[in-house]
Amino acid sequence: MAGKIVLCRCEDMTLADLEHSVSRGYRDIEEVKRYTGFGTGPCQGKECLAVVALQLARITGQPAAAIPPFTSRPPLAPTPLKVLARDPGAHVFADEGGTARTTRTQGDEVDD
Amino acid sequence: MQPVMDDEEDGARADASGEIRLPATLEASGPLPERAEIVIIGGGVVGLSIAYHLAKRGLEDVVVIERGYLAEGASGRNGGGVRQQWSTEINIRLMQESVELCRRFAVDLGVNVWFRQGGYLFLARNAAEVARLEKNIVLQNRCGVATRMLSPSAAQDIVPELDLTGIVGASYNPTDGILFPWPFLWGYARQAAAMGARIFTQTPVGGLERQSGGGYLVHTPRGAIRARRVINATGAWSPKLAKLVGVDVPTWPIRHEICSSEPLKPFLRPMVSELASGLYCSQSMRGEIVGGVSLPGHASTYAMGSTLEFLATYARRLVRLMPILGDVKILRQWAGPYDQSPDGNPILGAAPEHPDFFLACGFVGHGFMMAPIVGKLYAEWLTGGEPHEIFARYTLARFRDGSGAQQEKEDFNIG
Amino acid sequence: MARRLPGHDAVRGEAVEVRIADTSVRAYAEESIAAAALASGTRVLSRSLKYHRPRTFFCFEGHCSGCLVRIGGVPNLRACQAPCAGGTEVKGQNAFPSAEIDLLGAVDFLFSRGMDHHTLMTGSSMLNKLANKVVRQLSGLGKLPDHAATELPEVHRIDVDVAVIGGGPAGLAAATTTATAGRTTVLVDDQLRPGGSLRTDPRTGRTEAEARWSAATSAGVLVLARSTAIGFFPEDDGGVLAVSAPDRLYRVYAKQWIWATGGYVVNLPFPDNDRPGVIAARAVGRLLVDHGILAGDRVCIVEVPGVVADVTALAAALTTAGAEVTRLPLADVVGTRGRSWTTAVDTRDGKVDCDLVAVAGTPAPASEGPRQQGCRVVLDAVAGGFRVVVDDHGRTTAPNVWACGDVTGYLGPAAAAADGARIGANVVREGAP
Repeated sequence: MAGKIVLCRCEDMTLADLEHSVSRGYRDIEEVKRYTGFGTGPCQGKECLAVVALQLARITGQPAAAIPPFTSRPPLAPTPLKVLARDPGAHVFADEGGTARTTRTQGDEVDD
Repeated sequence: MQPVMDDEEDGARADASGEIRLPATLEASGPLPERAEIVIIGGGVVGLSIAYHLAKRGLEDVVVIERGYLAEGASGRNGGGVRQQWSTEINIRLMQESVELCRRFAVDLGVNVWFRQGGYLFLARNAAEVARLEKNIVLQNRCGVATRMLSPSAAQDIVPELDLTGIVGASYNPTDGILFPWPFLWGYARQAAAMGARIFTQTPVGGLERQSGGGYLVHTPRGAIRARRVINATGAWSPKLAKLVGVDVPTWPIRHEICSSEPLKPFLRPMVSELASGLYCSQSMRGEIVGGVSLPGHASTYAMGSTLEFLATYARRLVRLMPILGDVKILRQWAGPYDQSPDGNPILGAAPEHPDFFLACGFVGHGFMMAPIVGKLYAEWLTGGEPHEIFARYTLARFRDGSGAQQEKEDFNIG
Repeated sequence: MARRLPGHDAVRGEAVEVRIADTSVRAYAEESIAAAALASGTRVLSRSLKYHRPRTFFCFEGHCSGCLVRIGGVPNLRACQAPCAGGTEVKGQNAFPSAEIDLLGAVDFLFSRGMDHHTLMTGSSMLNKLANKVVRQLSGLGKLPDHAATELPEVHRIDVDVAVIGGGPAGLAAATTTATAGRTTVLVDDQLRPGGSLRTDPRTGRTEAEARWSAATSAGVLVLARSTAIGFFPEDDGGVLAVSAPDRLYRVYAKQWIWATGGYVVNLPFPDNDRPGVIAARAVGRLLVDHGILAGDRVCIVEVPGVVADVTALAAALTTAGAEVTRLPLADVVGTRGRSWTTAVDTRDGKVDCDLVAVAGTPAPASEGPRQQGCRVVLDAVAGGFRVVVDDHGRTTAPNVWACGDVTGYLGPAAAAADGARIGANVVREGAP
C-alpha cells in the first residue's frame, strides 16, 4: 500500500486527490480548492498553497507563472470574535440606540 | 435518461502519483460545439439545475457556458440556508418541494450535500417583530409547514448558548435546514454531463446576436455557438447579459458579506437569525460557524471585497447573542451578490419580444434554495410540459404593464 | 529523542510548571508551550479531520495547524505561539480516548487508498442519513470554550509615516533605516519575540536577533510584538491595516507600507510526510538556536537544492550538538515509518533509522497580505511559491506599497537583512514624506 502524500495537512488532502480533481475537469486553482478542500482549513493555505499550485502546474503541463493564487481574504490569521467586536467601526443597530451611519468609504457601483 | 451512479471509478485512485483518468465533468479548453438546442449562460446552481433536469428529461444538445471557475458566483458564496418560513404562499409551497429535493439529492445524484434539517430559529426583540412572525406562521401552518412560536426560554432549550436579554419571542420550524453549496454544483454538473450535457468553464460571453430565422448566436473566445433557445442564468449579472440583446432587466447587485469560524465540535442545531440586525449563523457540517449580518447602506456593486466594518458588526452582535463564542476565532470572510429586483420577487420566463430568451434571476439572496425546484419546473416546461404558475406570475413584462403591483410582496427576504 | 542542551544560551526566563494532557511538565516562562512539550517528550497532540491521522508540531512558527491544542478552556490555539505561564492547562483535541491512542485512527487504515467524501455512502437513503449524522459528530477540531470571554481587548489607533509588517531580518532592517531617517515607523511581528528567521539560523544565532530588535527600538521604531496583521481593508476609513494582539486591536494608518513577511516553511511531497516526527528543518533550527533544545539524536534531513547552504549550516550545528545527521535529497525518499513518532525513513536504497525528519524545502513567500493590498504576485518554483512582484527599488504594483526580503523570493537571512536596509533607504528617498 503506497503511503499518502499529504499536500494539505489541515484537510488531509493528498496528491491523489489533486489528480482526481484535475481528471474530473476541476483544474482552476479555485475549483481545486473547493473540490478537494485544500487551503480551507485553519492555516488557510499558508503551508499548502505554493506546493499545490506547483503540483497543479506540473500535472496540467502549464508553466508555474500561469497558475494564479486563490483569493486572499481577511483575516490573515484566526482572530477571536471578542477582538473584532471591539473595533470602533462596528455598526450599532437601532435596538441598541445606533443610527444608520456607515464608516465605509463607499464608491460608486463598480463594473466588474 | 438515468443518472450515473458508478462509485467504482472514484475508488480507483492511487497515491504516490499513479495516472488517474476519469471522465471529465467540466471542459476548460477546446472549442465549443457549433450548435445547441439550448445554451444556458451561467454555470451557477440555477443554470446547472436546469441543465440537469433538461438532460434527465432526455433533451439532447444542452450546453452550459460559465464565464469563470465553477462556483465563482453567488452559488459558491452563500451560507447554505434552506427554509420554508416565508410570508407568501407561493414561496412556502415552492420551498416545501425544494426541501424534498434537497433531502433526496445525495441519493438521486450520488454526491453528498450534507443537508441537515436542524431547523431555523428566528429571534424577535420587540412586539412588532413577534407580530410579523405570528402572521407568517398562520400561513405556513396552513400550507402544512409546522412552524411554531416559542417563548424565549423554549428557544434557549434549542440553543442553550443564547443570551436571552432583550429577546421576547421566536419562531421555529424544525424541518428547515442547512446544506453545503459546492457539492450541489458538482452533483448537477456530474449528472448533467453524464447524460450528455456539456459544461464549459472559463468561457465569457462577449456577444449575443438574435438570428433572423430564430435562435441566437452566442459569441465566446472559444468560438460561436448557434442556439435555438438561450437561458440567462447569470444571476446578479443578468442585466449585463440581457443588454446584449437589448432586453432591460431591472435588477441590481447588493453585496452581502459573510464569514466562517474555525471548526468546532458540533453544538449548534438550527440556523439562528435575529430580525433586528439581520444576523444569521449556523454550524456547517465541517463544524464552522458560518454567518453574516445586514450592514446599513449595502454596497451596490459587483466587486466582492471585504470590510472591517462587517467583521466588527457581526462579531459584536454575535458575541452579544451567544457570549460563549467570545474566544472563538474567525477564519475567513468573503462576499457574494444578492440579486435584487424592484418588487422582491424573481424574474422568470421568456423576455417580451424574445420568446426564446429566458430569464431566471431576481431571487434576492434565496436563489440557491429555490434552484432545485425552479430548475425542475423550468425543464418540465421547456420540454413540452405545462408551464408552472411562477412563469405566468413572475414575468419581466410585469414591470412594464403594471401587473406586478398586484403581486403579493415577499416580506421575508432576509438573511 | 528531544532533549534540552545544558549551558546553551537560550530564551528561557524563569522556570515554571505547566500541565500538558494531565502531566506536569518543566518549562520556562519565555519559551512556547510547543517547545516545552517537545522537550518533555510529548508526541501526538491531536488527530486530523478526515483520516484521523496523528497530528503534532510541524512549523513552530504559528502558521500551520499541526500544534492546535486547548489551553485554559479555549480551543484551537497554536501551542507554538502560546507562552508558558505557570499553571497553564493544555489539552489535546479531536481524539478519543487520547491523541496517542485514538479509536478513529482505524479510518486511515480503512481508507488506505483514499476516500472520496463526495460520493461516500450515497447508495441508499438510510445509509446516507447515517453517514451525515456520523460525519457531523466527527467534524470540528476543538469544543466550544469553557467560558464567555471576560477580559475585553483594548483598541488603539496608530498613525505613522511607515508601517512595516514582519519583524525578521528584512523588516527589522527596513524599519531601523526609516526610523533612523526620521520617519515615524511601526513594526508589526506575529512571533513571541521578533527576529524571524534569525532565530532559526546557526550562522546568525539568537544574539543577532536580539541585537537587531534592540537597534530597531533604539532607533525609535514602535515594535508591536505578538501582533498579527489580520488584513488591509481598503474600504474602511480610507484604508486601514487591522492588527490583532492577544489583548488588543490596533488600527494602523500609514503613508508607506513595507511588507517583510518572509516565507512560510513548507512540507515536501513524499509518502507519509505528515507523520509526527516530520518537522520543518527551520523549526529544528529554531529549537536548537533559540531554545537550546536538540529535537532528535538521529536526524534525517530531507532537502531540495534551493536551500543547500542553510541545510549545511544546520547539519553542522546539529552534529556539534551531538546528533547523528543524514542528508537525503527529496527524490530519494519513498516513505516514513513509525507509529506515534517517526522511527525511520524509507529510501530507494533502503531504510534509514532516525528519530526526527527535518524537512528543508524552499520557504513559500508569505504574500497573502500584499495580495490583499493589490500587489501582483507570480508563482515561481525557485522563489518558493507566490512571490511579490517588485521593481529594482522594492516597489510593488500597488501605490505606496513596498516589499523586501523572502516575501519577494527566498533569499535567506543574511541577504534578506541587506535587502530590507536597501528598500528602507528607498522608501526614505522616494516615498512621499
